Amino acid sequence: MRQDGAVPLDLELAPAEADEDARFRLPRGHEWVVLLGYVAAAALYVVIGVTVTDFLLSVFVAIAYLLIVAWLVPLAVRRLL
Amino acid sequence: MSWAAHDLEPYAIQRHTRWKLAFIPLLFGSYSPDMMTKWFVYGIHLGPWDLKATNPAQFHRGWPGFGFTHSLVYGAVIGLFFWKVCGSQVWGISFMIGQWAHALTDTGDTVGTMLLFPWTYHFHFGAWAYAGQTGRMTDAAAYFSGLGGMWDLVWIVFGLFSWRVLTRSYFERYVYTADGSWSFMNRAIPTAALLVLYRAAFFYGTSRWIAWTLWAHVVHHYPYDLSWGGPHWVHAAHP
Repeated sequence: MRQDGAVPLDLELAPAEADEDARFRLPRGHEWVVLLGYVAAAALYVVIGVTVTDFLLSVFVAIAYLLIVAWLVPLAVRRLL
Repeated sequence: MSWAAHDLEPYAIQRHTRWKLAFIPLLFGSYSPDMMTKWFVYGIHLGPWDLKATNPAQFHRGWPGFGFTHSLVYGAVIGLFFWKVCGSQVWGISFMIGQWAHALTDTGDTVGTMLLFPWTYHFHFGAWAYAGQTGRMTDAAAYFSGLGGMWDLVWIVFGLFSWRVLTRSYFERYVYTADGSWSFMNRAIPTAALLVLYRAAFFYGTSRWIAWTLWAHVVHHYPYDLSWGGPHWVHAAHP
């Protein structure tokens, strides 16, 4: 606590480029590959979820699913190729 | 209550705040009000026992009950704990902002939240029906048939227009560097997996919005009712 009674907030400001780097534009090159990969993962998740709604109930299930399909499977494929 | 908004809001907050916030406590704060209560609102079966709140809306949002978890002071107290006891100001502030976003968003339904607890007045806009007391499936059907589901859609569209916050370069440049927890986890978990973890809430919120919408309107044909306070085919709880 400062002498004037104010609470010192020393949070850093986000870099000015952060806003520029988040501004909308269409994906380019490899970004399309990543995007399509996630769209495919989402499509499968939705199909499973609509069929077995319990699958949709937990964020932890979603995290485990995403780690498998978006990290472990591509990793395994890259190792095999 | 809201379904996907709590998954998606942290990305929007992080995108537009002028401060360096920590994403993990921001998301944790956004989830925290429902963490201890949702299971008891909908009820669970444990062997021969059915555990469910007698008055789910009262238990979830009211007092006596756990409604204080949806108040601004709850976020401030837990945030202060992170700051003063755990020694991380950025975690404290980020948690508080995430929790406040949740508490404010839930004022959209017919029960609302006791924002200024210990004052027990429920701030509520009544835009969509609170139907947690009807059970998880009917609540899902109602939510995704009314303005609540549309409110989630706003966040999804907003998120899609901010898709670049989900890129690897944005994550490494701004999200990872804002919070030492990422580098701590990075000792055991590769960056590629951390990136997947960072994206997971957005994936979860968007995908389950689509899945529940299909389940409610393609598989089961629940009628849409986008009128204020709807859908009116379900019994809405009030404070």
